[in-house]
This record gives sequence, structure tokens and C-alpha cells, in this order.
Amino acid sequence: MSENRDDFIIAIRYALLKKGAKQKFSLFFLILLSISIISLDRMSLSFMTPVRSVINDLVYRVSVVSSQPVKFRKYLFKTVSQHYSVRSQNIFLKKEIEYLKKQKFNNAYLSSENDLLKNILDLSEDKNFEKNFSIFAKVILDQESPFLKSILINKGTRNGIQKGMTVFSKDYLMGTVIETNYLSARVLLLTDLNSKLPIVIEGTNINAILEGTGKKQNLELSYLPEKYVLEPKKIFFTSGKDGFLSPGIPVAESYLNKKKILIRLLGDPDQALIVNVTDGRVNK
Amino acid sequence: MNYFKIIRKKIFTSLPIILLYYFSFYQFQTPEVGKIGIFSFNFQMILIYLYVLKFPEDLGFGNIFMAGLIHDTVIGITLGTTSLSYLALSLFTSYIRNATIRPVMTSEWFTFIPALFFSNLIYLVIINNFSNVSFYYLELLQNTFFTFLFFPIFHYIFCRYQELISKK
Repeated sequence: MSENRDDFIIAIRYALLKKGAKQKFSLFFLILLSISIISLDRMSLSFMTPVRSVINDLVYRVSVVSSQPVKFRKYLFKTVSQHYSVRSQNIFLKKEIEYLKKQKFNNAYLSSENDLLKNILDLSEDKNFEKNFSIFAKVILDQESPFLKSILINKGTRNGIQKGMTVFSKDYLMGTVIETNYLSARVLLLTDLNSKLPIVIEGTNINAILEGTGKKQNLELSYLPEKYVLEPKKIFFTSGKDGFLSPGIPVAESYLNKKKILIRLLGDPDQALIVNVTDGRVNK
Repeated sequence: MNYFKIIRKKIFTSLPIILLYYFSFYQFQTPEVGKIGIFSFNFQMILIYLYVLKFPEDLGFGNIFMAGLIHDTVIGITLGTTSLSYLALSLFTSYIRNATIRPVMTSEWFTFIPALFFSNLIYLVIINNFSNVSFYYLELLQNTFFTFLFFPIFHYIFCRYQELISKK
């Protein structure tokens, strides 16, 4: 028992007092120093306050420096995560651009398909009828008859002109061929009393028949609905119900003249010098 | 060339001191030091216990005392508290080293329990009696438990490291 106690005391003494080969201070001395520091700090002696503040400043400064690797690590992680975030965002945006490009191409395709289908269904907005098939002709004579409003053109059957062909002036419908000769043809103008053309009024689905009155500034509409009141600045388009002309060809317009709503042709037959003669089956 | 070798060896042998000081300073800016979620542990205690037990020539008591003072300053508790706690751990460890005839890792690991207990007891006593700092006992217990639990890992790492630098 006493031997064991002796061993314990020896071991403790050895641990406390022996400094070892490289130990500059013994444990006993350092423990005493610690206790004295605790006591001094706890007693809050006057000289301890500046000492403590100096130690604090020093330690905090070194602590700030020592924390830099951690801060750098955090910065690095943040930068790397941001980089990957931007990268993933970039990939997403690239995909989106690809998608939008595809959509654009798809739209272009749909647009062209739409045009094609319109062409097939005769709904094309292209009114350059003369581009498809037309024979240019010169107006050689403008008949000034009180009833028969017609013009003569310098093209006839030799050039393939037939009865019933439609005549345009600056893309506006003027009339139909009623008489053909070998070298010339007669065109009945829309202003003529005998001219009857099925039309549709702009912005509505109202159909009517545009009739000539012999006056280019005053045409008439027949077969209008009973309570329908015509408004000015309305364009009349061919309805295509005659089965001959394509629908949507602008023909005439309404206008206000001395509080009266009148109808006039869009093209002026008096000013027509060159006309396009077509077979009327535009876009078919 | 010879000087270069000496300097290199000095740097390698100073690693525990560098780590001890670094973690004492480091705790101020990053209170999560040594914490992996709930697995918070006291790295300094492992280092002190291990080096005083196995390689006392590489970690002086003066450095341990200074590291404790720095830790106190950083934490903001009464100066000397951690120093005394670390020194108590060193005292216990020195006693174990002197009393142990045949050192085995498992016995070193389990003797770490009373060493930790002794050190933390002193720490708590000083804090309770010489400071107004409130304390989370459960956290200290948790921290002590994981410090004990992670000891074999660091034991292996530092023993391997010492083997490597002693060969060079």
C-alpha cells in the first residue's frame, strides 16, 4: 500500500517538476502562473486593464490574420459555386437560345406553310395578280358614252385575250372584257350600268352587289341588309361569290360628300393608260 | 543543403505547435472550428494529450500555456482558465506516461476519459467561480464525448506523421 502511494507521489512529482529534454518550464511553475493570472484578472487590478487590452489587441490582430485562409477558403467556395452557378445558367440559357432558335425556325416554317395553305385556299394577301398571269395592254380608246362605260385596249385574241377576262389598273379592278377582236378588246368598266359585282364590306361580313351608275364617283350597293347603315371610309372587296374573281380584291370605297355617303372606285378609269388583263382566275 | 534539411525538419516537428496556436487563434473568427454539424470536438485537447503522452519533446508546456492564454483572450473568459485546464490535462497525461509500462492505443484511448474529465472539471470550476459566463453543460458534454470518440483517428494520423518525419 505504502509502495503504491510512493509510486504515485513519485510519478506526480516527476510529472510536475521534471522539465524533460526540451521543456523550458515545469508544469508546476506554469500551473502556479496560471492560477496567479486568473487571480489577477479576477481581482481587476488597475494595471491589468491596459495589459489585458494590449493582449486583446495583439491576439485579435493575429486572429484576423489567421482567419484569412478560412476566409479565402470561403471566398474560393463561393466563387467556385458562383462559377458553377453561372456555368449551369449559361448551359440553361444556351438551351433556351437553341429552343428559341428552333421556335424561330418553326415560326418561319409555319409562316411559309400558312402562306402556302392560304395560296391553296385562295386566301393569299398577295394582290400582285399581274405577276401570276397578265397581259399588259395599252388603253387606246376611252368611250365617253352616257350609258356604256368602256375602254378599248390594244390586245386581242392574238395575244390570248378572251371574253370575261378581268382588267386591273394599278392593282385595282376596273372591269371585264366584253368584246374581243384579233388585235383589240373592249373592257366594260365597273362604273357601267350593266356592271354587277359581288362585294363584301370591310370589317363586316355583309355581302352586297356593287352596281355601276355611269358615274365613277357614285356607284350603288344593292341587296344590303335592311337596317344596315353604310359608314364612310369603308373599302369594298370582291367576295368571290361569283366563282370567277378571287375574294379580297379591293374595288371601291365609301366616302362622305356633302353629308351623303357615296361610293367611288379605287382606280380611276379616266387615268388608266396601261392595264393588266387577266383571266380572272387569280390564285387558283 | 544541410541547413535546408535542418529547417525542413524544424518545420515538420513544429507542426503540432503551429496547429495548436492556429486553432487557438482560429476559433475567434470561426466558432464552428472543430465542428462538423453536431460532431463538435476539441482538437487542442486531443493534440495536447497525444503529444504529451507520445511525443513530449515536440510540444512544450510553455506553448500549451500560451495557447491557453490566447484561447481565453479569443473566447473572452478569465485569462488563465484554459491554460490551467490544458496544464491539468498535461499533468494527468504526464502521470499516465510515467505510470504506463507498455503503451497500447486502446489503453491510451480509455485513459483519455479521466484526463478529459479532470481537465473539464477544472475548466468548469474556474468558469463557475471566477467568471460570469453562462455555460451550456450539454454542449460541453457532447463536445467531450466526441473529443474522446475521434481520438483514435488523430492518434493514427499523428503517429503516422511522426513516423514519417523521424525517417527523414
